[in-house]
Amino acid sequence: MNPPDDTEGFFMHKTRNIGWLAWLGILFVLAAGILPVLAQQTTLTVLTHNSFSLDKNLIARFERESGIKLRFLKGGDAGEMLNKAILSKGAPIADVIYGFDNTLLSRALQADILQPYRSPELSNLRPELLLDQTFRATPVDFGYVALNYDRDYFRDRPLPQRFADLASPEFAGLLVVQNPATSSPGLAFLLATVAAFGEEGYLDFWEGLRKNGVRVVSGWSEAYYTHFTRAGGDRPLVVSYSTSPAAELYYSEAKPKPSEPPTANLFLPRSSFFQVEYVGILKGTRNLRAAQRFVDWLLSKPVQENIPTQMWVYPARREARLPEVFRFAQVPPEPARLTPQQITNNRERWIREWTQVVVQGQAAEAVRARR
Amino acid sequence: MHWLALPVVVFLALALLYPLGRIVALGLGEGFVAAITDPYYRARLAWSLAYGLGSSLLCILVALPLAYAFRYRFPGRDFWLAFSVVPFVLPTLVVAMGFLSLVGPRGLLGLNLYGTPWILFWASLFYNLGLVLRPLVALLPKLSGPMQAARTLGASPARAYLRVGIPLLAPALLSGGSLVFLFSFTSFGVPLLLGGPGWATLEVATYHALAQRLAFPEASALVLMQLVVTGVVLGFYLRLQAGWAVGLEGTETPRPLARGRALGLAFGVGGFFVLLYSPLLGLVWRALERPAAWISVWQSPDFTPGLLALQNTLAFAGLALLLVFPLGTLYAYAVWRGARWLDELGLLPLMVSPVAVGLGYLLVYPWLRGSIWLLIAAYTLLSYPLLTRTLLPALRGLPRGVLEAAQVLGAPPWRRLIRVEWPLVRPSTTAGLALALAAIMGEFGATLTLQRPEWATLSLAVYERLGRPGATPFYEAVVLAVVLMALCTALLLGLQKSAWAR
Repeated sequence: MNPPDDTEGFFMHKTRNIGWLAWLGILFVLAAGILPVLAQQTTLTVLTHNSFSLDKNLIARFERESGIKLRFLKGGDAGEMLNKAILSKGAPIADVIYGFDNTLLSRALQADILQPYRSPELSNLRPELLLDQTFRATPVDFGYVALNYDRDYFRDRPLPQRFADLASPEFAGLLVVQNPATSSPGLAFLLATVAAFGEEGYLDFWEGLRKNGVRVVSGWSEAYYTHFTRAGGDRPLVVSYSTSPAAELYYSEAKPKPSEPPTANLFLPRSSFFQVEYVGILKGTRNLRAAQRFVDWLLSKPVQENIPTQMWVYPARREARLPEVFRFAQVPPEPARLTPQQITNNRERWIREWTQVVVQGQAAEAVRARR
Repeated sequence: MHWLALPVVVFLALALLYPLGRIVALGLGEGFVAAITDPYYRARLAWSLAYGLGSSLLCILVALPLAYAFRYRFPGRDFWLAFSVVPFVLPTLVVAMGFLSLVGPRGLLGLNLYGTPWILFWASLFYNLGLVLRPLVALLPKLSGPMQAARTLGASPARAYLRVGIPLLAPALLSGGSLVFLFSFTSFGVPLLLGGPGWATLEVATYHALAQRLAFPEASALVLMQLVVTGVVLGFYLRLQAGWAVGLEGTETPRPLARGRALGLAFGVGGFFVLLYSPLLGLVWRALERPAAWISVWQSPDFTPGLLALQNTLAFAGLALLLVFPLGTLYAYAVWRGARWLDELGLLPLMVSPVAVGLGYLLVYPWLRGSIWLLIAAYTLLSYPLLTRTLLPALRGLPRGVLEAAQVLGAPPWRRLIRVEWPLVRPSTTAGLALALAAIMGEFGATLTLQRPEWATLSLAVYERLGRPGATPFYEAVVLAVVLMALCTALLLGLQKSAWAR
């Protein structure tokens, strides 16, 4: 019996050999994928929400001076990002988490994903922002969640005068809000409705909004940059920040620069909510010293003075100067207020009830009856 | 129990039964009341059932006349028949992006079907038609005898088909229909991306309960609801399979037709398939619209870079295959030589949804959350049955004569394995591996539930770009979907070639 003649065989079985080549190719790419992991890098991973932004030169300077490479991981809006951190507890996906606010603070603390750190910069911050006595959450900035409206749309049309007006037919189909389960301004707005209408009334208000065609999206950037009329969408009323009109003016490319912003705040009584954003070091991080340096850097004067024009919030540091354009940023005269304890005790239930009425279409009365 | 099955049973116990048990326990506990009394979840269950049943009926109603047409020879017949199974192995994200490119909010056609049930039924037909059509066409030769008899007795062709053909086809229809029901009922990616909040299936509701509100008990109760239904239907399907076995070998040659009629049929059938699969065309068209996206997607600063996603997809697939190959082949051998109960146990992974697997792992293996092997285990679990089920018929079809001859001639078992059995089953093994590989590369549900930024695959890279403001993320998502589609298509072409090289 002759042994098989392989030279001829190689070309005859071209398809089979292409198969082997393909497998080799896959292994190659596999190796290419694994190799970078083997290389050593001191990188600090910071989990942030989608709206995080800081001046690139400041970041570059920090990386140079500290020798730490910064990697920013955008995890969705604040609620979504916090949930991801909680679901990966014990094997954290980042070293530092920035962007959860006072409405979500107790969820972060109760999940026990943060470790305490008393930054030397704490004494330079506004004392009323230091809500966490365990020093696990350090305040970085604050702002006001408020309704914004498109001036163009409402030029010849009446504006809502009271909070409850939003649910009346003459303002149907005009509002876009964010889902409080995933978004911090969305949650802040929900809390404002609870403060304004009370436990017995807020669900009816939301049922009214639902019947009035309110649109719900998962995050602030989707609402503001896709559905708001300023971005080409079809909703002239949006839940945003009291500084957003100032931002519109700042970024305006119209020539000559307009004297007033194209959007404005709609400060209906008790429709705005005070919001503080925090940074925390995640438990289980392998870069503790780097994380602490990062937190100190966030609280330093240059960064605190850069934050207003990057993220359109007020700096937590007491003597940080505000930019010129912030004279167009207004402070709501009558924001809604809830105590941290009220938020801690009821937040998850409020979110669940909101979901049942607005997303799932249940009747407010039925949901209240099942309390 | 055959010793070959031991590693597989251990794997199943750790990777499936234990997490499933914990989910069931949690679901029966706290979550149960919340889920059963909540009208929203009951509505999700009702819609999932309706979607499953509707999809089955739709596929059957469309497949019946098509199968009749496929009895004849017309231009394109073989191509469309072979192509009808391709969509089934296409990744969810690719199909969803295709639909979004054609009939979504940024759709080519200007018609926006996002958030309607019609797009979901279309997607179901797109995916599942092949599941009903192929077995039907293979079964048609068996009809010729009875149909001939009916014709002789005076029935018209249509009447013969209706009164004689279809009842004979019933087992195949029910069998294929049950599979379509199972896949539609447990659908995740398509309703998540195309259905909007109003048309979420149970699986989507489970994911939302987990990801948005960290509500583990509620999510577990929903998984339990799903398991009950899939268990019942799967049991039904197995009974059908047991009572009716069909050899898919030996197709009857298609009958010739007069030229005019053949062309007419070619247009009709071809036209229908082009319309059905047009989302794929829409996807490719959209991808070509913006060349800039092809460049920016590989290193995007705000999302997972396309390059990392591609590396991850290939690397994870490779790693999972290392487990799938021994697991799947051992299992097939054990079933071939062993008890029936092994066969049914092996179908369990098909019953459990990927989101449930992810949920289970989050619940019971928190210390493994950072380990890549958790994700690889999920991939292995969800894909090794594909290898087993492809390999088993080949093993069962091994000519006993050849094996016995080898034994008589004095070959020891291992030599028999390498020189006789392996060459005979290699094409099926390759085919099964290719199927498993395609399934892993396109996996979405478990990957989304267990997601970690360093584990982002192509599917996740597409998903995170959707719903973000601006046109660039959308076009980047389209590009990535095309890359994924190209990978899977290349695999399937390789599969076809190796099957014909037998």
